[in-house]
Amino acid sequence: MNFARTMIDTVLSVRDLRTEFATDKGVVRAVNGVSFAMRRGERMAIVGESGSGKSAMAMSLIRLLVHPGKVVNGEVWLQGRDIMTMSESELNDVRGNEIGTVFQDPMSSLDPVMKVRDQMVPPIMRHLSLDRARAEAAAVAWLDKVGIPDAARRIDAFPFEMSGGMRQRVMIAMALSCQPKLIIADEPTTALDVTIQAQIVELLRTLTAETGTAMLFITHDLGLVSRFARTVAVMYAGKIVEIGPTRDVFGNPKHPYTQSLLSAIPRGADGGRSRLVQIPGFPPDMRQEILGCAFKDRCLGAEQRCGEAAPPLSARGPSHDAACWQPNGLDAGSLAQMRKTTDRAARPDVEALPPHDILETNNLSKHFVRGSMLPWRKPVVVRALNGVSLRVRRGETLGIVGESGCGKSTVARLLLELDAPTTGEIFIQGTAQMVFQDPSSSFNPKMRVQDIISEPLDINGRGSKADRAEKVRTLIRQVGLDPSYLERYPSQLSGGQRQRVAVARALALDPTVVVADEPTSALDVSVRAQIINLLCDLKDELGISFVFISHDLSTVRYISDWIAVMYLGEVVEYGPAEEVFRAPAHPYTRALLDAAPVLDPSAEDDRPVSIIKGELPSPLDIPRGCGFATRCPHVSELCRTEKPILVQRQPNRKEACHHVG
Amino acid sequence: MFAFAGKKLIQLIVTTIGVVTLVFFTLRLIPGDAASAMAGDTLSGEALERLRDQMGLNEPLMSQYLTYWRKLLVLDFGETITTGLSAGELMRAAAPITISIALATIVVTVLLAIPLGTLAAFLAHKGKKGLDSLITGAAMVLDLMPSFWTGLFFLLFFSLTLGLFPASGTVSLENPGHFLQRIALPVMVLSVTQVATMARITRTAVLEVLSEDYIRTARSLGWSELRVLFRHALKNAALPIVTVVGLSFGSLLNGTVIVEFIFNIPGIGSLLVNGINSRDYQMVQNLIIVYALIFVTINFVTDLVYRKIDPRVSF
Amino acid sequence: MSMTGSAVLFSPAHPFPRVRGKFMQFLSNQKTQIGLLILVPILVLVVLAPYLPLQKPLQTNLRAMMQWPSWTFPFGTDRMGRDVLSRTLEGVKVSLLVGFSVAFISLAFGVVLGTIAGFFGRFVDRAIMTVVDILLAFPSLLLAIGLVSIVGTGIFPVIVAIAFADVPRFVRLQRSLVLGLRTRAFIDAARTMRASKTWLLFRHIVPNTIAPLLVAASIAAANAILVEASLSFLGLGIMPPEPSLGNIIRDGQTYLEQAWWISTLPGAVILAIAISLHFLSDGIRESLDPRART
Repeated sequence: MNFARTMIDTVLSVRDLRTEFATDKGVVRAVNGVSFAMRRGERMAIVGESGSGKSAMAMSLIRLLVHPGKVVNGEVWLQGRDIMTMSESELNDVRGNEIGTVFQDPMSSLDPVMKVRDQMVPPIMRHLSLDRARAEAAAVAWLDKVGIPDAARRIDAFPFEMSGGMRQRVMIAMALSCQPKLIIADEPTTALDVTIQAQIVELLRTLTAETGTAMLFITHDLGLVSRFARTVAVMYAGKIVEIGPTRDVFGNPKHPYTQSLLSAIPRGADGGRSRLVQIPGFPPDMRQEILGCAFKDRCLGAEQRCGEAAPPLSARGPSHDAACWQPNGLDAGSLAQMRKTTDRAARPDVEALPPHDILETNNLSKHFVRGSMLPWRKPVVVRALNGVSLRVRRGETLGIVGESGCGKSTVARLLLELDAPTTGEIFIQGTAQMVFQDPSSSFNPKMRVQDIISEPLDINGRGSKADRAEKVRTLIRQVGLDPSYLERYPSQLSGGQRQRVAVARALALDPTVVVADEPTSALDVSVRAQIINLLCDLKDELGISFVFISHDLSTVRYISDWIAVMYLGEVVEYGPAEEVFRAPAHPYTRALLDAAPVLDPSAEDDRPVSIIKGELPSPLDIPRGCGFATRCPHVSELCRTEKPILVQRQPNRKEACHHVG
Repeated sequence: MFAFAGKKLIQLIVTTIGVVTLVFFTLRLIPGDAASAMAGDTLSGEALERLRDQMGLNEPLMSQYLTYWRKLLVLDFGETITTGLSAGELMRAAAPITISIALATIVVTVLLAIPLGTLAAFLAHKGKKGLDSLITGAAMVLDLMPSFWTGLFFLLFFSLTLGLFPASGTVSLENPGHFLQRIALPVMVLSVTQVATMARITRTAVLEVLSEDYIRTARSLGWSELRVLFRHALKNAALPIVTVVGLSFGSLLNGTVIVEFIFNIPGIGSLLVNGINSRDYQMVQNLIIVYALIFVTINFVTDLVYRKIDPRVSF
Repeated sequence: MSMTGSAVLFSPAHPFPRVRGKFMQFLSNQKTQIGLLILVPILVLVVLAPYLPLQKPLQTNLRAMMQWPSWTFPFGTDRMGRDVLSRTLEGVKVSLLVGFSVAFISLAFGVVLGTIAGFFGRFVDRAIMTVVDILLAFPSLLLAIGLVSIVGTGIFPVIVAIAFADVPRFVRLQRSLVLGLRTRAFIDAARTMRASKTWLLFRHIVPNTIAPLLVAASIAAANAILVEASLSFLGLGIMPPEPSLGNIIRDGQTYLEQAWWISTLPGAVILAIAISLHFLSDGIRESLDPRART
């Protein structure tokens, strides 16, 4: 154990923390002996996939776990006092005062029936012993500092009157308002859009630097870690398996889990298209006693002693520890094997393919009209989509990116004829099918996998009963599942398996186009890699075209041949994926790429901090000129009055901006 | 707020019109007609015809309907057929008694059920199953006890055995002491069911709120469990509780009919049962409408209270 | 066509256990078992009543008037020397008949009308819901009282009256279930496969409303039993000499001081039945949705 860091400026030191959840089906050992220390002003990230125990660990630190969760062992020292042995009232003086907390979902973390003022001012009065007037002044000052416009007035707003980004700013203001020594942020940006996420991360970075507050940042997003954290701890099955400076851990990972996780993420920069690493198997059942290393069943380097004793954290470099018997974790050969060696073929040459369109839309728009019960009120028009023209050729993937509210899901619904367009036309050669975002709600819970995959065939009366059964077996093998899964109900499948079934169902009618709306966003990193690999394989083998809709830029970049960037219901930039990502032309595309963190700590350090300001305008009230004018750094008078149209300036590339070229 | 109240008021008026219309026309469905059903075998053809005239049954249906509305709007309920007394006056005498019983029950319910339910929820949240199961189990049994059965128990025990409360005698607001003694048992009987229902609802609502993210936020700001419970949890749980208070007013009105019957209380429930027994259909018709109106008015008030607590409601 | 490389990743061995059949799950639920433990003995007694050494329900016995509960008369006798237990069992038969008929009738009407309102929407929905809202403005017992005053007394009219008051509640429940299901992604998924409305309705929507409807129906049965007893107690439901739990209790009310058992014991049986039905409803809910446990 490397305790070199346990020095005089230590803010927090955690020793052998263990947390259990006593459920009906047995005791879940969520945290299995976690120890680490944090210095003053340190920014540390805890990363892990769902079920790794990272959130339970964070909540244990300030005893915020609720029944049936319980800390069963461990010490948490905060400046000479052990939080675990504090009385209830001592603890209440620490919470909100010496330790501030920011939670994941800003939509649900503020009391909905209380004004911001009533949630924010009383804690300041109590912890800092201020009178009401001074506490209110302090609250307004903090709201101002976290970037809430017109803070003196907004303090009287109810949470529901604010956007998600604004609410998270309020949460941060509340967490910082008593100048704590430590902030615990549990996935603080997960529920937010990329540009807002970048703003919040930047805000946390500058504020903690200014105030010297240490920050513990819990996340599943490795890119964010490299942008934000100096130190990173990787958790697996309730333990820290690797910890150290972010540059070292990401640049030279030593634990097999860290190594495979880092190779399971599509990286934009590496140009070629090597298959993503797939981690076989499932995380261990945390209700069982784990003998030896928890990762051994999924590790290609596992040997006998891994099953006998769990490796302790041991030094691999300055302040860099890993918990593996092998000094360097997996060798290159094992990692290559996990990619299934077959590197992806080079992308089909865009120019060389015959210009054979499978899907085309012309000037597609969709307006939703919301009437009122009162007849004299003017009905409200939501302009979800305003004149979108797209083209997908045979065997190619079109990626559509944009933040929530940009209309990308509306496009999907129109393509599948789930909604009728207000204007415009859609031409599809053959049939289009869809893979939905949430694999748990896109299946009827009363149907078996067999009936789910067979449903499109049944509806359309394809073939005899025996033909259909045979087809279903072919399909399920095609998506990499054993036919024994056909007997199961969706609730008996894991998230990744469900998404495979969804793909199989989409393939049943031999579609020419598959529209996938955020098919991987509900999945963990390692599972996401499997689904991305699957989609790439299918595209190559079956020559299917894909429309891949996502907010995750690195995934879209990895999977797409063409890309359409959407903003406020319009396509603002269109072109070959690699070119657009390498040399974005539209200011919004640039802003998106700047905002999205990449998996390289040194690149993140070198990157100029230019973060787009402001938030998306309401689709009820779209600006008259360019939709992006309210946030664009290059805005001119022309942009405010005249809407730019999508213009082709170089071969294959189009953008809608007055200031390009 | 005003727009909201306006919308709800429009809904109230529409429902009222519907209620009156429905009751009026349903009554015309009686085999034969109301007069012959009322008279049974007692009246001869000519007398029956006179009764029909008196009840206005010989007019065209639409004009009967309009006459009915005209009288209703000036609160003219006609005369009771059997006694010849003014139906309006009988109802004016009876209504305050029933309403007093109902309101007293609500007060008792709120005072007992909300602390009990909150306590049970708090215990359940902390994983202390014992006392919570006791409260929840007792509430379930009490909730399902038929109120006429509880009523008889209370009558037997408090009145007949202990002699604490009189089970008969006049009920008049002019003698408040005696009035309270007379309505004490009915209120207790009704409260058993109401407290049980409300405590269960409160428990569920508070328990659900306690697992919300903003409760964790409040804790993370250093607030004590007590303050979290009363400032944040109860205030948010108030929303479903208020809704249920409004809805369970219906079962409360049901209950008043039964306790009035058991304890000989001359409220509108007794008028109703007497009306049915003497086949006074006009009386029954008017009383059913009055009950419905009390119920929709209470629900209207509930909606306003809900809106007052929850700033998000804007439909 | 080649298999994709990931095929080997998923062997049949996996950490997600198979779920037993729904019905077995229902039977093995603790609350179901409590409910059955109460209900089954009552049912057995009702069925076996004619073969038990009990005095017939309508038979009077002037030598044994208002007798304390004993081995011969476990629930005692009433003022005409009739056996309260055998009358109670006869009354339970009526109660159960009323309870289940009401549950069935209101379920049937509620499902049809609620599905139409929720699935087809627009004008039909508005028309149905307007009527439903008006009917819901009446407290249920009072609506039933009003109706029996028109349709008369007896088992059948009582069933009709109570069911009439219950139907609007089922319509509303079913409508909200259908509306909730209509926005689920699996409906969209089926629509992308060109599923017809009939297919959506009978393959996806209706099957998913059955569980919550069954939960509501068993509560409705318990409720109907209580309402019938209340009506008969008020003298507006089932009339003597035909025994019903409500009118037995009404009979005993006059002799409460001299013979408490006439009223109280049949009341306890009503309570037991109501409790057992509530336990069964909890059992259905928990076995169909494991998260429902609170």
